[in-house]
Amino acid sequence: MDERFALAGIRPTAPAPAAPKPKWYKGKPLLAIGFLAAMALGCLFCQVIMTKDPAYMDLANYARRPDREFLFGTDTLGRDIFSMIWSGGRVSLAIGFLATAISTSIAVAVGAASGLAPRWLDRLLMRLTDILLSIPSLLTVVLLQAVLGQAGVMSLSLVIGVTSWQSIAKLVRTEVRQLRRSEYVIAARCMGGGFFHLLRRHLAPNFLSSIMFMVVMNVRAAIVAESTLSFMGVGLPLEIISWGSMLSLADNALTSGAWWIILIPGAFLAATLLAITELGSWLRKSANKKQSNL
Amino acid sequence: MRALKRLLAFLISLLILSAAVFWIARLAPGDPLASYYGERAEKMSPQQRAQAEADLGLDRPIHVQYIRWLRNALHGDFGISFKYKTDVWQVIRGRAGNTLLLGGLGFVLIFSLALGLGILCAWFEDRPLDRIVCKAGTVLSCVPEFWLSLLLILIFAVYLRVLPSSGAWSIGDGGSAGDRARHLILPMTVVVAGHLWYYAYMIRNRLLEEVRADYVLLARSEGLAKRSILFRHCLRNAIPSYLSIMAIAVPHIMGGTYIVETVFSYPGLGTLSYESARYQDYNLLMVLCLLSGAVVILCNMLAQAVNERIDPRIRARQAVEEVSDRG
Repeated sequence: MDERFALAGIRPTAPAPAAPKPKWYKGKPLLAIGFLAAMALGCLFCQVIMTKDPAYMDLANYARRPDREFLFGTDTLGRDIFSMIWSGGRVSLAIGFLATAISTSIAVAVGAASGLAPRWLDRLLMRLTDILLSIPSLLTVVLLQAVLGQAGVMSLSLVIGVTSWQSIAKLVRTEVRQLRRSEYVIAARCMGGGFFHLLRRHLAPNFLSSIMFMVVMNVRAAIVAESTLSFMGVGLPLEIISWGSMLSLADNALTSGAWWIILIPGAFLAATLLAITELGSWLRKSANKKQSNL
Repeated sequence: MRALKRLLAFLISLLILSAAVFWIARLAPGDPLASYYGERAEKMSPQQRAQAEADLGLDRPIHVQYIRWLRNALHGDFGISFKYKTDVWQVIRGRAGNTLLLGGLGFVLIFSLALGLGILCAWFEDRPLDRIVCKAGTVLSCVPEFWLSLLLILIFAVYLRVLPSSGAWSIGDGGSAGDRARHLILPMTVVVAGHLWYYAYMIRNRLLEEVRADYVLLARSEGLAKRSILFRHCLRNAIPSYLSIMAIAVPHIMGGTYIVETVFSYPGLGTLSYESARYQDYNLLMVLCLLSGAVVILCNMLAQAVNERIDPRIRARQAVEEVSDRG
């Protein structure tokens, strides 16, 4: 400390002890990440975990309560629910990610194009997006699936992806409209940077963090859509095991009071959705924090 | 002038929507004759089939069919439902009341409860009450609607046998108010539970954002009571966005109602549109899609109008955007 400061009455103080460094895991949704990782691993290596062949219909043992042989019981077709959970989870999670990949790609393309486009084109694109948003997505999905024929994992992901990109596209557009006025974007454009160059180098790195939350939520919405559609009988057929198609046997289960057929797949479904939500809201929260004035 | 422009945009949107639905519906493989003639359709000879298709106007190319449909629609004739064989409006009129009851009452419940919960949580921010409500809300919002319906049916209809599991009224009972109410409880619970937290959380976060603004600090330093700051100032700033979200929420809640109706076999527009999409009841499907499309587009416009009217800042921002876009 300098002499002049001492004369002014400022005394040197010992440097404040450094605040203990927060543990790396502080505030992170460990439980959710752990659960998701466990589910993902379990589904990937379902061959190891499964105790039975999930597709085998053991008609002698249909609608059995959970016991030592059938850990989660059997459904009304005599299939082992414990094994179905893991092999069905594969399909459900795969559809969630595939559909989100499709919808996010469409959303980024449309949103960025609309954000960079001249005013009239931007208006047109957004108006079309609004119109597409206005049909209840249940109806579009039913119609599109009918066009594509019998549902499979790919076709259902495609249908769900094609019908769920609008809200992300709107967000991307808003972000791009703000970014397009920044000097570096203008400079890149002046130097002849094309649409994809701009998107990859300048726009995407800037808007990715703000759409991340919606993308994660889109995975959740896609899994819900798959299970709802399969449950209603317009999604995956009974032979393609997924958490939704397992629940499509619920009607039979209700009349016979077989709670495990409804409760167990649904509980796995809901827990996975919850974990995804936790992850999403942590992503959003870690972006902005400020103290209350009240 | 502005209203005229909006009306024009509305009509064009409906026109595009109708063309899109018309086209997709006819692309789908499936037999509309089956929904008109039932099982008889399978036993028809080729000549009879051709005759039947000509009668229903299904033998022409799609664009000719569309133009004919459009001309009739502009004269107020939307055709007959293939399945019910009466005017589509008659079919819809019989069901619309049920959906309005479920969706409308659900809408009111959702938004009044969400406002209350949101304020409550914002007031007790980060205290146990807020944390518990937030956790419970998140869990509830993660449960898929159809599964929640199944659980409720399992508990209240199968095990406890206190509430009916499907329909809108009992068969013998001619629809007395008490009976209708009993049939509404479970579907209504699912509709409300499925959406409540999304909006409550939104208003909570909006309020928390507001609470961090500098004017709140000023008001505190002037000695205003916390409660009056929250209700008179913060809430007032948050309400415009809430109102516009209410308008945008209509399609979401409508979509939710559709699923709930199907699970509970509740005779409303949801089950009707689901049936019409699955069984190629073209005329009915068109009207239902146009109706819901019109509602959604109107709601979006309403949201924008509400925003501009209540919150002059939005108008100002738009003006700035327009100027800078031109530059």
